[in-house]
Amino acid sequence: MTSTETTERVKKVVAQVLKIDASEIGDDSNFIFDLGADSMQSIQLVAAFEEEFDIEMDEDKALEVQNIADASSFIQSYLS
Amino acid sequence: MTIRASIHHQNLDKIFYPESVAIVGANKVSGTVPNDILMSILHANFNGVVFPVSPREKFIAGVKAYKYVIDIEDPVDLAILVFPSSVCHMALEQCGKKGIKAVIIISAGFKEVGGAGIDREKRLIEIANKYDMSFIGPNCLGVINTDPRTRLNASFARKMPEEGSIGFLSQSGALCTAVLDYAQAKHIGFSKFISFGNKADISEIDLLYYLAEDEKTKVILLYLEEVSKGKQLMLAARDIIQRTGKPILVLKSGRTSEGASAAASHTGSLAGRDDICDAAFEQSGIIRCYDIEEMFNRAIALTYQPAPRSNKVAIITNAGGPGVLTTDAAIMQGLSLASFNETTSQLLKKHLPATANTKNPIDVIGDARADRYNAALSAVFNDPDVAGVFVILTPQSMTEIEDIAKEITVVSEQFDKPIYTSFMGESDVAPGIDILQRNKIPHYILPESMADAFATVWQFEQIKQKEWFHETFVDNVLFDKAHMVFTNVNAKNQTYITEDLSSEILQAYRFPLPQMKMIQSQQEALNVAETIGYPMVMKVVSNDIIHKSDVHGVTTDIRSPEEVRLAFQTMKFLMEQEAPNAALKGMLLVQQVEQGIEAILGIKHDPSFGHVMMFGLGGIFVEIYKDVCFKVLPITEQEAWEMVSSIKAAPLLKGARGTNPKDLAAIVDCMLKLNQLVIDFPQIKELDINPLIIHNEGKGCHVADAKIFINLQSELQSKKSKEKQ
Repeated sequence: MTSTETTERVKKVVAQVLKIDASEIGDDSNFIFDLGADSMQSIQLVAAFEEEFDIEMDEDKALEVQNIADASSFIQSYLS
Repeated sequence: MTIRASIHHQNLDKIFYPESVAIVGANKVSGTVPNDILMSILHANFNGVVFPVSPREKFIAGVKAYKYVIDIEDPVDLAILVFPSSVCHMALEQCGKKGIKAVIIISAGFKEVGGAGIDREKRLIEIANKYDMSFIGPNCLGVINTDPRTRLNASFARKMPEEGSIGFLSQSGALCTAVLDYAQAKHIGFSKFISFGNKADISEIDLLYYLAEDEKTKVILLYLEEVSKGKQLMLAARDIIQRTGKPILVLKSGRTSEGASAAASHTGSLAGRDDICDAAFEQSGIIRCYDIEEMFNRAIALTYQPAPRSNKVAIITNAGGPGVLTTDAAIMQGLSLASFNETTSQLLKKHLPATANTKNPIDVIGDARADRYNAALSAVFNDPDVAGVFVILTPQSMTEIEDIAKEITVVSEQFDKPIYTSFMGESDVAPGIDILQRNKIPHYILPESMADAFATVWQFEQIKQKEWFHETFVDNVLFDKAHMVFTNVNAKNQTYITEDLSSEILQAYRFPLPQMKMIQSQQEALNVAETIGYPMVMKVVSNDIIHKSDVHGVTTDIRSPEEVRLAFQTMKFLMEQEAPNAALKGMLLVQQVEQGIEAILGIKHDPSFGHVMMFGLGGIFVEIYKDVCFKVLPITEQEAWEMVSSIKAAPLLKGARGTNPKDLAAIVDCMLKLNQLVIDFPQIKELDINPLIIHNEGKGCHVADAKIFINLQSELQSKKSKEKQ
């Protein structure tokens, strides 16, 4: 899977979990500052990424990831 | 004033008197901090514009919300950041770009959690510096300004307090909410209420200066968990008290080592030694309080009533026992009972029943109603010897509790003298207490608290009148000689200065030292002994031995050449046995001084307050009774005299039970020389003169032993550069 494909799928998941339009999400969008995720939604995002990509992430490290681009890279590291 | 302090000075008005406020990170979820703060501002009828900033909401509580603070078209005076700590820097950066100069950062997760939190806090400071912004917090409850011109409740406290004249500053946010609840029950109002949290940018010192200039604030209360800039706090307090006459009451927690440790884990702070804190506060005119109740008991006395002109009080009571208790409490606090003149006595006799006691304390008898209280109050208020009045009430079946409270309120308004009350009990007297509290008549559950509050106000009057002298300098010293010794020791990377060299330093500063000389051999000892004379003391000198007596390194009362030989051989042998690895520099032969009272005079460096001088008598006085006093340097001659007089054993020095008074002036002289030595050589980390032998008046004193520890210059330079960073 290319990084672009991963990023697009990440955006799709984020849009679903945060209930926002995917067009509002940029590559550098910060989950909290730009997209308004609260702490519960941050945990939901981690779970949704794991399901979407069928991977199991280090939860503490995953919660430190702050934006779409970083999330995409983080997930890529599990896919490769 | 530093550049940052000057910027804060300009920006603080925007924090307390903003015309527009942005709540950055607001949401719609009731019961969360971001939402509650927005609601607090709206419910307090803030006289300004509110801009919620929320990444997802278009409106919150009917108010238009913005995605980013930079999207707001209008100018914003104050931003309140309630985002999680991980993104606060992004919000602060946008505030800077928007041109907002005043910020309150409520969010936690910074220095107080350690690790990455420390870096996050540093990042906030860097951004604030970049944009000349000032911020309160992080990790705080927020601020409240009750001034009707603004009415800002930028906090998540449950309620807006009443308007009042007390400015309250707190390092703990949770304590703030408890204090607000306590104060509300007693109708205590506030001018400004500030939780400053980690004080990463704006410190308690900046806020003290702000409240000093604030026309709505008469009394300043400060709760601290750590004193990080003790010297600055002292200077600020002294300056504020001198210039404005506003009292500063400080409740400093962490008094016990366990408490200090809890405070450290709580706020990421280091607590200093508590008795040094006591000394520093006293030196700077700060009124130290030990619990919240004591703090407010004193604060209402200072806020509500005029200051007394003397310490003489009149006590009016309707019960004998409480009258006696109050009298005891007053006397214990250093107050005295006023003596009534003939006019007052006649008036009291005229209006009170024959069974009443018309002398001070006045007993208006258990069946007294409001008219008797009125008569007694009016009579004593007019008496020139009365500086203040204590009114006691116990609830009998016929006692008109509410009427008496109203009468007190009415009469007190006619006189420029303070009145304090104690309606003893709880349930029956509650309506009366409520009337008193609403009318700003100080009320106390216990007579002891009432007396303490009066005494505090009276003492503060003395502090305000006190003439603050500048530190006393000693100029007839041989600076270069002492400097050479310090330089040589530093060059050898030594931090402990042995007694022979410590004595050279003290000699250069004209301390009274007995004759002494270093020797290397037994024959040299015998020769030197003839010069010094008997009796004498022999001491081992080694960089490796700090406590000489632990290795039998001191022999006293040597009275003949035979004893010189014996002492030399014995000590050398014992040294080889007990400290085989210690390098012996030689032996110090010292003239044995006449007996006298043994005292300890020392210096230590405190992380909060800098150099501190300690004085006390030796032996059991210091070891068992801990009878020592401290002063933060530099000290004045007046403060040196205060040190001598303030130890509990001072009567022994002054001549107790037929003993001769000791040479107090000689002690003061040593203190001032020590003060000068530390001013000239701030690398001194610790210095002990132990014992300082004090002789009878006119006979001076002698330094019998001394040791000095220093910080190496390289350590000092690295510390300074760290401070600059």
